[in-house]
Amino acid sequence: MSLLGGGIFKGMAVTLRNFVGSYFKKERLVTNDYAWQPEGDSELPQRASEYPKEQGEQLSDTTTVTNYSRNFPMLLHDGTEGSNPMDTIRCVACQICERECPPQCIYIEKMYDENGKYIKSPAKFDIDVSVCMSCQICVEVCPFDAIVMNSQFELSTPDRFDGLLLRRDDLLKSNNYYHQIHPEEAAARDQKIADEKAAKEAKKKAAAEAAKKKAAEKSKAEAEVKAKEAEGSAATESDGKQEAAE
Amino acid sequence: MSWELIRDILIATVPLLVIFPSLFAFTTWVERKALARIQNRIGPNKTGVPCTRISLFGLGQPAADGIKMLFKEDIVPRGADRLFHLLAPIVALIPAMLVLCFLPLEFPWAKYIQVPVQAFLLDGAVIFFFAITGINTLAVFMAGWASRNKYSLLGGMRAIAQMVSYEIPLVLSAVIVVMLVGSLNAADIASAQEGYQWFVFTPWGLAAFVIFFIAALAETNRSPFDLPEAESELIAGYFTEYSGFKFALFFLGEYIAMFAISGLAVTLFLGAGEGPGVATVPALSAVWFLAKIFALISLMIWLRGTLPRLRVDQLMAFAWKFLLPLSILNILLAGLAWHLRGQGTVAQAATWAASLLILYFTARVLDGLSRPQARPRQYKYAE
Repeated sequence: MSLLGGGIFKGMAVTLRNFVGSYFKKERLVTNDYAWQPEGDSELPQRASEYPKEQGEQLSDTTTVTNYSRNFPMLLHDGTEGSNPMDTIRCVACQICERECPPQCIYIEKMYDENGKYIKSPAKFDIDVSVCMSCQICVEVCPFDAIVMNSQFELSTPDRFDGLLLRRDDLLKSNNYYHQIHPEEAAARDQKIADEKAAKEAKKKAAAEAAKKKAAEKSKAEAEVKAKEAEGSAATESDGKQEAAE
Repeated sequence: MSWELIRDILIATVPLLVIFPSLFAFTTWVERKALARIQNRIGPNKTGVPCTRISLFGLGQPAADGIKMLFKEDIVPRGADRLFHLLAPIVALIPAMLVLCFLPLEFPWAKYIQVPVQAFLLDGAVIFFFAITGINTLAVFMAGWASRNKYSLLGGMRAIAQMVSYEIPLVLSAVIVVMLVGSLNAADIASAQEGYQWFVFTPWGLAAFVIFFIAALAETNRSPFDLPEAESELIAGYFTEYSGFKFALFFLGEYIAMFAISGLAVTLFLGAGEGPGVATVPALSAVWFLAKIFALISLMIWLRGTLPRLRVDQLMAFAWKFLLPLSILNILLAGLAWHLRGQGTVAQAATWAASLLILYFTARVLDGLSRPQARPRQYKYAE
């Protein structure tokens, strides 16, 4: 029996630990102080890399992001660096995520070949990150493990319409990159995919075996029937012979 | 009106109008710093003394914010009810300022007052406190209605439901203290707790204090009960359409209301201005009082950094199914204990233990009964 309201105290202990810890452990801080001061007419630094850093300090970038950071979705492909990502894209443009997305920030168009036949990949896959609320529901519902969360956060742009609309090719990231940013989750997902594949193959194998067995039984039964028929005809023949003999 | 009366009114009220708004400015800075540190950020640390490089841990930030608010454009939406749009922040601020007079803050300069003008000596101070803070609900709905905006109206409606619901446990937990003291006078309540006989040190007083504090969080729209202004759902709720100084007035009113209700909690449960050294230096009384208020405010900030916002159904269930029955039971227990007083230490210890056990197990049972059942999330299209 847990203490009434114990969860609140536990939570408060966590926040207190963070509050105190942030004063003593510099590596806890997700933002770093910069030494830049306005001086006369000097312009603001334009990029993160231009910010003057204090001695021994590093401005946060993707390498300082923890394994647990999730920002916006990305699309996975299984190819390596340099290959065409569209060859190995996992997304089949089933549009489940598009329909499930609460703020409706995903837009998908299916790809068709010249005969008008649907080939299983997206022609367009846009995510408006100004609308996306990072809820991860698209990740949860995807049956193909094709969409996962990225931790890229430096998305500032001077163009708030086109610049914040991520196209399919901006979203495509390799499975290796996924392993780099979220190793545990990626390994678990790969394991899940492998398990599912193995289960599917086992089922297929079992089905094939069952079919084989069935076929064998069928042929056996057929053979038996044939043998019986042959026996029967032999018997009638012998009967006929007997009759003739009589 | 005699000059003496006017002078005494000024002596009694002007310090309140100076101390609490400056405490407000300091609190906004503390809140921003503390929340930042809880989230492993730094918080405001650049603004300090103007025209110099002195940053003073960002202590200049509240002043800079205030000046910014003053210079911002005052936007009134087209189709808004201009009169009520203007009145709402004023109606929000004035009652909050007014109830500060009912706190038994004994400032050292109070001895120069010859005409008794301190409102906390009023016989019905506690009743007046609740009556006047009730006006705040009206201001919130006025703002929501006058803005002609869906978000504002939703926020205003949520605020009414929330404030009306939580007013009841708030008052019922204050009733215990009034019962035990036998007076509604704030000065009497303060003097009844002298000698560290604070009500928070009794089982029913502790339960009442916890209920009071939770209800106070809801009354002042503080997280985790900040549904009327829920940023992620309603933009800013009832003050979505407020900008510039009107917004600053709302902000100020909200914090002053926090100070006022914390001050009432300190008066009712935490022994008002009592603390080490008050007997020798009476001026310390006001310092202790303000320090206790600030401790409660820090607790509110800490909770804001810890807890996520409740859902509307959870909020209502918590008020009506948990806090209300518990506070009624608490009144019963306090009454029983009051009748059994003076029967010796053993009897008293037994009453205390029994009350604690009854309160705790009732709370557990109510917790189980009142919690809205969560259903697993279901997706419409996937599978």
